[in-house]
Amino acid sequence: MRAINNWLEKCTNKYDQSAGIYINFLRTEVLFKEFLKSRNTKTKVKTELGGNPMGVRVVTGRSILAAIMGLGVAFSAQAGKYPDIGPLPQLKINKAKAELGKRLFFDKRLSGDAAISCATCHDPKSGYAHPDALSPGYPGNGHFRNAQTVVNAAHKKVWNHDGRIGTNLNDMTREMLTEDYIMNMDMRIMQERVKQDPVYVKMFKDAGYGEPSNGSVRKAIPEYLQTLTSRNSLFDKGKMSASAKKGMALFKGKGGCIQCHNGPLLTDQKAHNTGVAENFDIFLDPNNHQAFIAFTMFQGVPDYMNLKRDPGYYNVTLLKQDIGKFITPQLRELKYTAPYMHNGMIKTLADVVEFYNQGGGKDSRKDSALKPLDLSKAEKKDLLAFLNALSGDQLTSDEHVWKGKYPAEYEVIADWNNVKN
Amino acid sequence: MKKVTKLRFTVLAAAITTTFVLGCVGQATAGGIPPLASLDTLDVPIPPDNKQSPAKVELGKILFFDPRIGGDASTGCSTCHEPDQGWAWSEDFSRGYPGTVHWRNSQTIINSAFYPRQFWAGSASSNEKQAKSAATGGVAGNGESDIMEARLALIPDYVTRFKDVFGTEWPLITDVWLAISAFERTMNTLGKHEAPLDKYLKGDKSALNEQQIKGKALFEGKAGCIQCHNGALVTDSDYHNIGVPPNKRWEEDGLAQITFRFEQYAKGQTQEGYRKAKSDWGFYYRSKNKWDRGKFRTPSLRYAAYTAPYMHNGVFMSLEEVVDFYNVGGKDEEGRTTLFPENMDKRIKPLGLNDDEKEALVAFIESMSGPEITMKKPTMPPYAPLFTKAQLQAAQEAK
Repeated sequence: MRAINNWLEKCTNKYDQSAGIYINFLRTEVLFKEFLKSRNTKTKVKTELGGNPMGVRVVTGRSILAAIMGLGVAFSAQAGKYPDIGPLPQLKINKAKAELGKRLFFDKRLSGDAAISCATCHDPKSGYAHPDALSPGYPGNGHFRNAQTVVNAAHKKVWNHDGRIGTNLNDMTREMLTEDYIMNMDMRIMQERVKQDPVYVKMFKDAGYGEPSNGSVRKAIPEYLQTLTSRNSLFDKGKMSASAKKGMALFKGKGGCIQCHNGPLLTDQKAHNTGVAENFDIFLDPNNHQAFIAFTMFQGVPDYMNLKRDPGYYNVTLLKQDIGKFITPQLRELKYTAPYMHNGMIKTLADVVEFYNQGGGKDSRKDSALKPLDLSKAEKKDLLAFLNALSGDQLTSDEHVWKGKYPAEYEVIADWNNVKN
Repeated sequence: MKKVTKLRFTVLAAAITTTFVLGCVGQATAGGIPPLASLDTLDVPIPPDNKQSPAKVELGKILFFDPRIGGDASTGCSTCHEPDQGWAWSEDFSRGYPGTVHWRNSQTIINSAFYPRQFWAGSASSNEKQAKSAATGGVAGNGESDIMEARLALIPDYVTRFKDVFGTEWPLITDVWLAISAFERTMNTLGKHEAPLDKYLKGDKSALNEQQIKGKALFEGKAGCIQCHNGALVTDSDYHNIGVPPNKRWEEDGLAQITFRFEQYAKGQTQEGYRKAKSDWGFYYRSKNKWDRGKFRTPSLRYAAYTAPYMHNGVFMSLEEVVDFYNVGGKDEEGRTTLFPENMDKRIKPLGLNDDEKEALVAFIESMSGPEITMKKPTMPPYAPLFTKAQLQAAQEAK
């Protein structure tokens, strides 16, 4: 089994590097689970190992892979253990690159009409998220999902509420910059804007990137994002209150939260349907709805004009069972990032606790792990105390926020006729 | 049809004669050149796959003015093709998308339907392609098809109109370009917007004054304008390097420098070209032949009285400056010229026009513009939610 898990780990590492392969794995895993269900071979997988335990007819390389992945999934479930919650690993940071990324992150010139920066929707004062239920989006349209915090984004393997980017933060940066309803930036123009600013020219050089390019913008911003790592939470410091400690026990036990919220980020980074109510503002406000239509159209979602709900992870797989699934969010920095859920439908953490206490929302495809918890008032308070203990220092000082001014106009390149472009 | 055939034959015959007569002399100056003609000798070309209809034209008119056909819903076609500014833009460079400036002069849409190709380097072969290119270009509309199409679906008036005109359940972005082009095909100087020159060419000798008639003779003779500005469209629709110098804004304006490099990048320049280009290489971006550097499509002179400034980069603020430029053989008042003098059209030579002659030439060019074409901007149809709260609630219940 260890051999299989090691092999699986290798696969995981491999798919970190390529979106295409990643998606294939993802879909294969889902398909394989379906296959197991239909053959009713789940028990066999759990109990046998030798020979051909699953009765799977091995046809192609991919199905072998599917079989092994399926095994991995089945075994980890059988063990009943979840990656433990704990402190986040330290990330090695290149200071010059991160400093450059910081200036870029707060620079409005990185959007099409130079009206918004990354920080417009990922505001340090709101824990690098946005206080509106739905992210503001690009001028001229709205958005259809809540802006997630980018704190700890560098520790994740899957990004966006629907997990549509599962490669790296470089791709994620490109997605945010170029997507028409987000920053609508033609990266060729972005490159030339950056090159026009002598401060950037020096910073790119100092960071070892040479001449500014859109490629290095997409490296520098992720480098900066690595600096946005939670720190000094009471949980990490081991200084939780008695109530929070009780809350942690509930989290791992009676509350069952650990089933999905596990590991250092307190997320399995997988998609689940918890039955969160739809945010009607997506559809009642044409500014939001247009972004939603554009997005689902682009994703190839069938019948996108008639959708009255956010299909979530279905965008990625186009498998019906994934409708309404969203990637489990991390639970760090919650103190600053209200409102909650993929569509901001739950305003306070207390309401979130109550939502799960009642077994989640209503959805025929809701995850079977969700059941009414029957928590007492005191238990809910403890759970809340634990959740609050997962938030660290607000990262709002100069160390993380670019507070320098940006020039109001682009500087002229002197002696233009005689210098190389 | 008969008329066209006859005309072609005449042109051919004239060309052969010219070759015989002037063959050794070199460039033809008289024969082989289509004479100026009134615009109504041409029909507005209507592509077979985009027939005109009043409903389509009306839809296209509204879309032309709608800023939601653009990236951040603040720029429509009319933003850079402003009716009050000759359906063009009265700065040297077109104003461009917010946060940018363009790098070429905005051309009028008036009579554009007649031209075989659009844009200064002829990069679009139809109004339809021009519309799409302008609405989506990074320093123009910067709109993306999916969000623009999504917006239209949430504007009930458009949904009805598109269904009526194109028969689709929801508006399609490709049909936007068709409708806008249909509208543009009605925007011309035929009929009541006819220019004095057209009236003159059709026999109303009082349509031009004495000075203008003198200017016409210069245009067709000494000044040689007719060599490229000929026929009913007053353009040969070909590409020439006439010596226009680079716009100085590229030396003085950071925003313009950004766009300048972006264009080199976006138009597929070589690495070397990107580094060294200091002017717009024009037709070269399409042909990639070095002898096409600095060549641009001959613009029509119709409606030019309303469309200052002039040239592909708007370096001349008035027709007088344009005439001065040609009079000295393709140089501006400081003696600046194209960065590709080797590609300069051999027919560009000092003209030796005196002040009276220059004024007459300007007066004649002005006679190619009739009454200004004005238009009341249509009211923009509003957005409306696609679903009611009750419908959304029902969907929620059914989850």
